Amino acid sequence: MSNISESSILLSVQNLEVSYGPVQVLWGVTLSVRKGHVVSIIGSNGAGKSTTLNAILGVRKVGRGQIVFKQEDIVRQPPHERVKRHMTLVPEGRQLWPKMTVEDNLLMGAFPSTLRKDAVPNLSRVYDIFPRLKERRSQLAGTLSGGEQQMCAIGRGLMAEPELLMLDEPSLGLAPKIVDEIFEFVRNISREGVTILMVAQNVNYALRISQYAYLMETGKITLDGPSEKLLADDYVQEAYLGST
Amino acid sequence: MSTSPAPLPIRLLAQWRTFAPSWMILAGLAVMPLLLSSPNFIRLLFVTLLWITTSVAWNLLGGFAGQISFGFAVFYGIGAYTTALSMNAGVNPFIAFLVSAITAAAASLLVGLPTFRLRGPYFAIATIGISEAVRVVMTNLSFTGGASGYRIVEHRAFRQLDHYYTALVLASIAVAFSVFISRTRFGLGLNAIRQDEDAAAGLGVNPYAYKLGAHALAAALTGMVGGVFSRYAAFIHPQGVFGFQTSVHILLMPVIGGIATIWGPVLGGVVFGIVEEQIIASFPEIHLFIYGSMLILIILVEPGGILGAFRKLLRRIHGRR
Repeated sequence: MSNISESSILLSVQNLEVSYGPVQVLWGVTLSVRKGHVVSIIGSNGAGKSTTLNAILGVRKVGRGQIVFKQEDIVRQPPHERVKRHMTLVPEGRQLWPKMTVEDNLLMGAFPSTLRKDAVPNLSRVYDIFPRLKERRSQLAGTLSGGEQQMCAIGRGLMAEPELLMLDEPSLGLAPKIVDEIFEFVRNISREGVTILMVAQNVNYALRISQYAYLMETGKITLDGPSEKLLADDYVQEAYLGST
Repeated sequence: MSTSPAPLPIRLLAQWRTFAPSWMILAGLAVMPLLLSSPNFIRLLFVTLLWITTSVAWNLLGGFAGQISFGFAVFYGIGAYTTALSMNAGVNPFIAFLVSAITAAAASLLVGLPTFRLRGPYFAIATIGISEAVRVVMTNLSFTGGASGYRIVEHRAFRQLDHYYTALVLASIAVAFSVFISRTRFGLGLNAIRQDEDAAAGLGVNPYAYKLGAHALAAALTGMVGGVFSRYAAFIHPQGVFGFQTSVHILLMPVIGGIATIWGPVLGGVVFGIVEEQIIASFPEIHLFIYGSMLILIILVEPGGILGAFRKLLRRIHGRR
């Protein structure tokens, strides 16, 4: 990693330690994300992938470690300050507000005052990406299908004009056909220049659309490298892709 | 909603049709005491308007932001005592009400700073603790007369209509606040906090600051009600204004009427002010029992309150769903 110049690194996380009460779940996680890349964190249930994303956004308190975003240490900043610096998280299970309309959910994504002035053009951009959301703009978010809810959650994330878009399990609980669709959207968003850090149990997909990947096991990064290398790695193949 | 480019006052004006019924109710309430000038009836309306105000105020925090507080007697009592002390020091009553609003809002910050670190039931329990602690302190504070209470001396003639119109203006302000907040970004943020605080924080809402803000507004309104009440009653005591019962009453009205709506808390206030009064008059021994049963019934049958039940009925009449 040392050959990458400093300025092309958007996010760098160093020796991150996080505990839930007395139980430590992250044991010194170090990772970095280059501008314009899709980076994925793979691993099994309970490895600490979601915790890592939550810690980066600041909704989960960090015990020790550094989070540098755009050359600035943000580890002590509250989440709403980090959102203003254009990072956003599409959380696991989507966390939409079921009793708000689709449009209000999207507008919530541009909540900080600094983002609000561009809310209208950003809204039409989101509707361009997800025409289905435009059709359903005045419907309550709770009445959408699972795939549409995921689109709404991603759209809400895009409303914050993210430089870093974090996706936590974007394919969770969706039908295979919809999963294809969602990953296609992710690829398109990346093509528009948004840097993406994604957590996925769907290792096959994650490694196919990302350039770089980290393997996380019991709170530590145990392997990292270009995604095609991990895809070909014997250990990853055996443990996560089920080939013998 | 917030996509509309027109400034808010213009938008509100454009929606005058929506508000026409409210203006009519307001006009009705303004003329009513001139037509039916029985002092007891005016007193009943006056008290009801005060209850409506506290109910709407509580709903800003408990309804819109979803933070259930059992501690509003603190603000009611502080408002009552602030007005009482100010008026006895020679301050104009209307200035005294404003002072009450400010002191109550300041107190709400002291209460909110530690307790908003807690969530859900833990927040509710903490507010009970604080409320009781304040009551005990006030019971033993000598310069306000402690448990024996405090008398307010006003050196002008008592005119019931003054009090009535003060309460009417205050209630209108509270409802206007409630309408205004529900249509602004602040209201959207509170709504997001109620439905999912973590998701709200993750999108750049500062839940702590928003809750403190809603709490302060609610406390200021409640404090003014305490002040208006103490001026009318001319005598207050800690067991009354700081009593746990007061907190519970303030909380029950919006629950009965319909939580997190504009008109639910108003309805709840009307029911509480008028119905409870009649129940007390008719069944003085068991009025709390009757009231409690009513409450259990409402929560079991229709958690949306009276307004929720009414909406369901309308929907059935219109044959939808």
